[in-house]
Amino acid sequence: MTHELREGRPREAEWEETILSKQTNKQKDNIMQKPKLVYSTFIRTTPKKLWDAITEPKFTRQYWGGFANASDWKKGSEWKHLNPDKEVWITGRVLECKAPKRLVLSWADPDKLAEKSRVTFEIEQIEDMTCLTVTHDNLKPGSRMHRGVSWGWPRVISSMKTFLETGKGLNIFAGR
Amino acid sequence: MEKSEFVYVTYIRTTPEKLWQALTDVKFMKQYWFGVQCHCDWKAGSSWKLVYDDGRVADIGEVVEVDPPRRLVIKWRNEWKPELKAEGHSRCTFDLEPWTGAVKLTVTHVIDRAQSKFIEAVSGGWPKVLSNLKSLLESGTVALTEMYKSNDARTQGGQAAGS
Repeated sequence: MTHELREGRPREAEWEETILSKQTNKQKDNIMQKPKLVYSTFIRTTPKKLWDAITEPKFTRQYWGGFANASDWKKGSEWKHLNPDKEVWITGRVLECKAPKRLVLSWADPDKLAEKSRVTFEIEQIEDMTCLTVTHDNLKPGSRMHRGVSWGWPRVISSMKTFLETGKGLNIFAGR
Repeated sequence: MEKSEFVYVTYIRTTPEKLWQALTDVKFMKQYWFGVQCHCDWKAGSSWKLVYDDGRVADIGEVVEVDPPRRLVIKWRNEWKPELKAEGHSRCTFDLEPWTGAVKLTVTHVIDRAQSKFIEAVSGGWPKVLSNLKSLLESGTVALTEMYKSNDARTQGGQAAGS
């Protein structure tokens, strides 16, 4: 998704609008200040495998358009979202890390460090499968980051599910 | 006008034709829709109904638009819970767009009222149904077999045993 952000061609505004209208219903007072995206999916895998898919570059590269998430995943540590050439596209700190259940990251474009948002991954085991909920909040409304992640999360998470269930992710930047 | 809306976007490794079939073949639907039976002939203006496997009617409505394999619109009202039925008709749109090696499916469910309990309910249901649909088309097996068990597990902390 960061690929899309940099190239400045965000599309698929419908997702963004959905979230806005959904939030408008629930949190009329603060939605315009703090947009929030929530995306849940159910994956036939274990919490441990799902956790590793998010935090281990050798897995992430297979479904996230060749990108990797690099960190020692300790609270307070830096984390980086790296493209295949190891350039930093997103950076932030590990705010919470409870493997394999909850990971909270601050999230910023390295050229706009003051504009920080937050991503929370919540992983729940439900019998023999796993529910992943990604919440991206503290976004600046209408910003390029807001548009980019609105476009990106459904695509990245769809690809992650495909990767975990079939061994091969989707080509998330195909045809763009 | 005030409205409540839920939109879910998912990308599925399949073709628009196969996805269309998966959305309209009532035998196939049962496999990913937790045993729910759909009664419909998929013509614009025809009646549409979802029935639980024990015979209770879950939802009723009619087909508004059929444009295979691109767009399906259903006028949809809950029949099962009085407080949801009282909210009246909603509109559910399935948009299918081809995408390299896959299909982008957007499900938009909207009702003309603010803070709709019906839309809140479907917001919990769609991720399960669509996760199952994606799994079934991509791997031949569904991810979830029971729609409500997972909710119970969550509220009761039943998932704590696993890690």
